[in-house]
Amino acid sequence: MTSRQFLLIVAIAQGVLLVGLVILIVLNRWVRVRRSARIHPLRIELDTLMQRWSLGQASPDEVLRAMARLPVPIAIDALVTWSARIGGDRWQELSRGLESQWWARAVRAASRSARWWKRLDCARFLSVAATSHDVGRVLRLLRDHHPAVQIAAATTLERVGSSALVTAALEQLPFLGPTVQAYYASVLKRARPAVLRHLQQLFRRLDDPRLPRLIEFAGRLEEPVLREGFTTLATHPEAEVRSQVARALGKFPHPESVAALGYLVADEAWPVRAQATRSLGMIADPKSLPAVREALRDPEWWVRLRAGLALTRFGAPGRNVLLEAEVGGDPEARDMAALILGLSPQALAEYAA
Amino acid sequence: MSELIRVTDVVILAYFLALNTFYALLLVLSIPEIWEQTRLAEDEDFQRLMQSDALPPITILVPAHNESATIEASVTAILTLEYRNFEVVVVNDGSKDDTLERLRHAFDLYEVPRTYPETLSTYPVHAVYRSRTRTRLLVIDKENAGKADSLNAAVNASRFPLVIAVDADTLIEPDALLRLTRPFLLGRQIAAVGGTVRVANGCTVKDGRVSDARVPRRLLPGIQVVEYLRAFLFGRLGWNRLGGSLVISGAFGLFRKEYLHAIGGYQTRSVVEDMDLVIRLHRHLQRQKIRYEIPFIPDPVAWTEVPESGRILARQRERWHRGLIAAMWQYKGMLFNPRYGRVGLIAMPFFTFGEMIAPLVEVAGYIVTAVGLAFGVVNTSFALLFLLVAWGYGMLLSLWAVVLEEVSFRRYGRLGDLIRLLCYATLETFGYRQRTVWWRLKAFFTVFTLRQRWGEMTRKGFEDAGKQAAG
Repeated sequence: MTSRQFLLIVAIAQGVLLVGLVILIVLNRWVRVRRSARIHPLRIELDTLMQRWSLGQASPDEVLRAMARLPVPIAIDALVTWSARIGGDRWQELSRGLESQWWARAVRAASRSARWWKRLDCARFLSVAATSHDVGRVLRLLRDHHPAVQIAAATTLERVGSSALVTAALEQLPFLGPTVQAYYASVLKRARPAVLRHLQQLFRRLDDPRLPRLIEFAGRLEEPVLREGFTTLATHPEAEVRSQVARALGKFPHPESVAALGYLVADEAWPVRAQATRSLGMIADPKSLPAVREALRDPEWWVRLRAGLALTRFGAPGRNVLLEAEVGGDPEARDMAALILGLSPQALAEYAA
Repeated sequence: MSELIRVTDVVILAYFLALNTFYALLLVLSIPEIWEQTRLAEDEDFQRLMQSDALPPITILVPAHNESATIEASVTAILTLEYRNFEVVVVNDGSKDDTLERLRHAFDLYEVPRTYPETLSTYPVHAVYRSRTRTRLLVIDKENAGKADSLNAAVNASRFPLVIAVDADTLIEPDALLRLTRPFLLGRQIAAVGGTVRVANGCTVKDGRVSDARVPRRLLPGIQVVEYLRAFLFGRLGWNRLGGSLVISGAFGLFRKEYLHAIGGYQTRSVVEDMDLVIRLHRHLQRQKIRYEIPFIPDPVAWTEVPESGRILARQRERWHRGLIAAMWQYKGMLFNPRYGRVGLIAMPFFTFGEMIAPLVEVAGYIVTAVGLAFGVVNTSFALLFLLVAWGYGMLLSLWAVVLEEVSFRRYGRLGDLIRLLCYATLETFGYRQRTVWWRLKAFFTVFTLRQRWGEMTRKGFEDAGKQAAG
């Protein structure tokens, strides 16, 4: 084949493709307009029925029939939207009704699909319509390799009270990325009793690499029964564990918390000292004032900043410490005190946030 | 002589084939990417995520230099984004106009002491301001030293682990931040994320937001709409599957702050600081053997005003290409270096041989063809056929970008806009493309003399643009 022939073939192929693309663009728009015109009234009909059903003016069967007429992803979207508005027994009734629907059975079967978007559809469906029969499916979806599926599956924990699911999510929590961890944590908070039991057990495994993340999560729960576990871990050999303990203890105003923080504020690792200083400020026990005053002279800037901010929470005694430091002999404490005393109340509030 | 022309012809043909095969590969790779991204964008329950505390806090960095016309609308729009935890750091980079005064008046600024360490060294900061009306806002007034230095000053002042650099003349869609954090929500090891930048010219802008997306009627900005669609929707999406692009738009990119600190922040001597930053990020993370991704996701959108005059556009394109040449030269050690993985073996060679020298080859092609025709070495019909194929391929890529837009996000809903897009995709090849080649070619001559010079960009202001579009 000569180069001219080759170019000719390419040119013809390009021409065909160009025309094909233009036809594709026009066809795509036409199909979308038609599809939207067909589906939009069905969706409105479903929304009206849902509203009537929520007011007791329509039966669940009518709702289920209207839902079955919609394409599956749109039916799931409608379920997700309405689940936020209707709850309790009424929603449970609809969930049970969905178990016998052919399309819902197909969505449930997709929990084993090779295609991630099918599994995502399944997870989203179960997040609002799962029943106690779905625990096995949700467990599988929680361990899915696609994070979007995991996130949707984790939402199911809000609806299905299963200790097996809680344990599985909690076990997985430390291995997730920080943001997904935070999302799991926000969901797990709502299943508090089962979570607390399991956390207390996990706190006893001192060499568990998941410990720092679990403490971080446990701190967010602000549950008094966990405080004792935190103070025990204050002497843990891992700095990351101690740092998380120091952070968490700020939410537990108790003499034992103050004692543990008094120990941690002199830690060899500066992140631990910074967190402990911050937590002492949050508790603001007058007995801990000397320790915070000492932290204002810390060699690390961040610890000094935390100490300065913590002192503003001690009221007049804390302010006096800052005023003394501002004219004192330690240049670094002097600079930090001047900086903190110059902050507006609004800026201080933002720092505290 | 005729032999030389023949050899050159063959070399150019081989280059053309190799480059276009790679573009075809990007085109194919963009299909599963846009499918996945569209599914995720549609399926996520954003409202639920917004109510959770899972979203990472973000600092928005806004460098501003002589942005008086747009600064108030831009900052207002940024401050009202749908995101739970963010702050905005605006840096007035020694503006000669009343940018700072406008900010002071609009947001009731008051001076506060500086309360952060200078981790990245910058030119002197004159003052730091907070707003009485908007607690999320921090304004830094500093000596003029360029965009990169301003961004470094803003990074220093930022409190949060993720930072996003946004141009002051850029309008971010209300849910764009939320969408931009999606890769983080998906638990991936993200070093940076880029979103889509679209052309605001011709759109109706209301209260600092694009309320009605339109394709401009004027040719020059209109063709740039197609260019931007091509660059973002198919170019960068395809790169997601090849180890990540070398470019995250400076107008809209989210970065992990710890990595910015690790590489010393933005390079102040660079002409295109966004590309330079991403290359250094790749280099650092590959050297440290850190697992990372620098993906592009198409649904978070920021709108920017593009040049409407040929003179300003010429300066912009010349600068962009000058920056590309400078970056490729500076980081030539990464080229074909297996130590840098796919970035060294695919991305760097593509940007060097596919992007950087492309205008040289195209001009050489025109010259050799003309000389060949004059000496009778090249057959006229063959030359015309080659030209037809080369231009046809460009049109094909542009149309593909329009297809991707149509099957995914469909921002331009009107039929008139679609027809205009198709027209611009066709017209781009005739005249506009040759002009951009010339502008890019000039960069080879200016790269050693004007490395740091920025072209002045005359802004009309979004509200004016919107009124014009409406009129």
